[in-house]
Formats: sequence, structure tokens, C-alpha cells
Amino acid sequence: MNVMITGASGGLGRALANECGKRGYNVFLTDINAQGLKSIQLGLERQFGVTVTTAACDLTSDESVDALMSTIDTHRIRFDMLLNVAGLDFEGGFLERERRDIVRIISLNNEATLRITHAILSRRCEGNPFYLLFTSSLASMYPMPLKATYAASKRFLLDIAVALREELKDKQVNVLALCPGGLATTREAMSGIAAQGFWGNATTNPLEIVSKQTIARLLRRGGIYIPGALNRTLTFFGNLLPRRWVAAAIYHRWNKAQKQWSPVEFSAGKTLN
Amino acid sequence: MKTAVITGASSGIGFATSAELIQKGYHIIGIGHDKTHCEEAEKQLRALSNDTDITFLCGDLMQQREVERIAGEISQLLAERNESRLEVLINNAGCVRSWYTTTEEGYEQQFALNHLASFLLTYRLLPHLKRAQGRVILTGSESHKHMRMRWNDVMLTRGYNPLTAYKQSKLANILFAKGLNERYLGDGITSYVVDPGLVCTDIGCKNTGGLVDWIWSRRKKYGVQPEVPAKTYAFLSETNPAPRELYYHLCKPNNYSCQVTHENADKLFALSEKLCGIQYPSWIQS
Repeated sequence: MNVMITGASGGLGRALANECGKRGYNVFLTDINAQGLKSIQLGLERQFGVTVTTAACDLTSDESVDALMSTIDTHRIRFDMLLNVAGLDFEGGFLERERRDIVRIISLNNEATLRITHAILSRRCEGNPFYLLFTSSLASMYPMPLKATYAASKRFLLDIAVALREELKDKQVNVLALCPGGLATTREAMSGIAAQGFWGNATTNPLEIVSKQTIARLLRRGGIYIPGALNRTLTFFGNLLPRRWVAAAIYHRWNKAQKQWSPVEFSAGKTLN
Repeated sequence: MKTAVITGASSGIGFATSAELIQKGYHIIGIGHDKTHCEEAEKQLRALSNDTDITFLCGDLMQQREVERIAGEISQLLAERNESRLEVLINNAGCVRSWYTTTEEGYEQQFALNHLASFLLTYRLLPHLKRAQGRVILTGSESHKHMRMRWNDVMLTRGYNPLTAYKQSKLANILFAKGLNERYLGDGITSYVVDPGLVCTDIGCKNTGGLVDWIWSRRKKYGVQPEVPAKTYAFLSETNPAPRELYYHLCKPNNYSCQVTHENADKLFALSEKLCGIQYPSWIQS
């Protein structure tokens, strides 16, 4: 099994790469962070002895992805699985963020994801089943004031996943949208969880379980995977209410949480899912 | 002048031990994670006496490339000043995590910092230790008892429990010290584990997240001050001839788990060598 993982040197990317390594899959890792790729490559080779290939790539640039694809084509690599993990968010309300930062959220979370997905789907092993993961978020379930762009970008991924799943069924492509709550992947993420107090902890999913279940679900049937019984319950009831009400409730909670939390600790540009 | 390298020296037990050894006339190379904490600690330690000799190096020992970098800097410092001799290495830096989190290599963070960082740093400093017939001291814990190594899943990826991860890493510390003694007593390097007891430090509240943070902020109040275990580190560094037991609490030998066997120590060495990409030598070239 040949697996391509984007955002592979971030917290969720590394955890999924570990899961693939444990299963004996060969992995092709990409990320914008070349140093991080080198480290996770060493870790995977030492732990599992699998074949690890890495290539630093800026997925938001067509040239960079073209270069990556020509390398892949030169070596005639074909894939059985694509795990779309790369994504980002910047903290702060809409008007407090830089204009370019807001657009970058869409460039990476959406545009880049489509770019690499199309490229890798065209390089799948013909005749074999293909497994395609989109990392959406619990944030995709509602409009989220103060995280408006991020939540909308994750909604986009959720809809793409559900639609492509139907469209590509005949071509033996399984599509899964992963919608986790908080994941304790970075210091910043952990401080964000802490800032939300009880609910932050309660909606946080254990990373090792999420990565194991994600691969298992993807292999089995795809669909939408919301880890955690509490998150599933919240989503179920949230969907019964008018979207405006939910948005108002979320605004109330986030506004309170962000006041207690020093966003200075939050370095922009870190991969967050 | 004798030199001691102390990891996690900017606060807690590492800081108190640095102060203790400075008073005994050691040159201290302290390693800390946070730059501001390091500077603050250095200032306080310098205030202890007029001829305090201390160097702080700043780095995140959880990441192996940082361990390599720091080891290089230590070697350079030792070469410049002390004929490349290192009398004492105290592998003290440690952490607790509420969640399963990984290092850049994808290793579980508690295992990576509490065990692998010591394993790799000690390996890099072996020649210096041999030259000085030095000692390696690790910070262990009573909690290593009633625990066994999860050989099939040391990173606990099948379901993470913070306490299990911590206890396993502390068991690994004793196994590592035992393995070191089995290999290098003949070279004059002696290794120990100190059980500091319950100490009032912030280990449970540094980027820990979740429940552990909350519990530890209450529990630590019942602990002794870090100056108490610091005496044991000084005792093990200074006593001549070198004390012969493996595990010490309040300057006295203590019992350790029956899991601390030759087989387990060898197994841990083999696994850690693989995870660090190194091979401990059967004979140290110095």
C-alpha cells in the first residue's frame, strides 16, 4: 500500500504516519517544513522499517506541486491512499486578522487540497481500490463566529468529501471526512483547549485513537467520521436547531474563552486541525 | 575544577541540584528548555557566590536533533576548559503529558524526553565521562514500581494513559542505569537513579494540559522542597569511593522493582539504540 500524506510533519500528520507505519504501508510524506519531514522520516524508518519518501512542497503553489508530480512521474510512483492533512488557521476575529492571512486559510485548506487531490487521484493504481481522506473538523458542522473562515473552509472539505464519495463510487474510491474536535497536537492547541475549560477538555479527542480509527474507517467504508460520543451528540442536536441560534451560542462561548486567553502564545501559521 | 552537566536545570530539582553543586565548587553546565527561565536561573545561581562558574545551554531535549546540537556544544565547552573531562552527568529533565503527543520524530513525548533524551545525551558524552571516571545520575521515581515495560507498544499508541506513560519512562530510567553499569563499570563510569520522593515542583503544570495539570497543582503542595533531593545528587556525585547501589532515596540505597533485570535492560538498550540510530560501544574510545 502506497500512501501520500500532506502536512505530514504536523501533529495529526505524524500520528497518521505512525499508524500507517505500524500497518506496514509505504509512505510518501510532504510538508512545507523540510526539517520536520527529515525527523519524521527517521522516526518511521527506525520504528517500523517501512519505506519512507519525503519531499518538501508548498501545496499552495502550482509550480511546487507540478515539480512534485514530475518527480513522482519520473519514479513511476502510484498511490493507493491519500491523507489530506495540511491545513491552517490564524487566531483572532475577522477584522483583527491580516487580509492576506484570511485568504491563505482558503488557499491552503481548500485550493491546495483540491490541487493535490486531483493530482494524486490521477496517479492512483488503476483497478485497485483507492482511499481518500479529507481532514475536516467539528467546526465544519456550524457557522462559527470568530473562526468564520476556518469553519467555512472545513465545511467546504466536508461537502467535497460527501459529494466525491458518491461521484467516485464506481471507480472504487472510498472517501472519508474526518471531523475531530480539539486535538492536543501542539503547545498552542493545548493552550487553546485549556482556555475553553471543561468543554475544551470534553470535546478533545485522543490523537492516538483518532488516527487508528480514521485509517480503519477509511479502509472499511468512508463517509463522515466524528470521533467521540459527546461530539456526535452535540452535532446531532446542533443540526436540529436553526443555524443562526447555534452561531449565536458559539459566538457567546468563544468570545468569553478568547478574553481569558492570551493569543500572544498563538504563533500564526501552525497547522491546526 | 569538576564539571557537572545538569538537564532541566532552570527550575525544580535540577535548579536546586545546580545550587548544591555550585556550593561544592563545581563548574555547572545547565540545560533548560525556555530561554527566559534559563536566564533567570543563571542570574539566581550567580548570586549564590562570587566565583560561581556556570554556563546555560538552551534547547528542547525532546527533539533528537536538539540533543545532538547540545551534546556538541557541551563537548566543545569541555574541550576548551577541562581537558574534555566530565565528572557528573545528571539526566534530570522530564515532563508529563495529559494527552498522547509526539516529537518531531513521531515518538511519544514522555518516552522521548524522560528516557530517549538521556539515552542519546549519555551516549554522546561517554568519552568525557570515561576520562573523568565520571558518574551518570538519572531522576527516577517510586512510581516505577508495579509497572512493566509495554514492549509491544512502548509509545502507548493503543490507548494513552498519562500515568502509565510516566511510570514506564521512570522504569526505563532504572533499566538504562542498570544497563550502563553492566557495560561501563569497568571503564570507571558508575550510574545511579535517584528517587526524589514527592517534590514541590511544576513538572505537572508545564504544557501538560488536561486533568494532570489540575491534579498536580494540588498534589505538589504536599511535596518537599527540591533542596531535599538535591542533597542525594550531591552525595552520589561526591562520595568516594563511588557508592555501589543503583537506586537511592535521601542518600540511602532503596529497593527497586523486580522488573529491573538484565534481560529487560538489554532489551531496552536494543530498542533505544534503534530509536536513536546509535550503537553503544563495547569499549569506549577516549
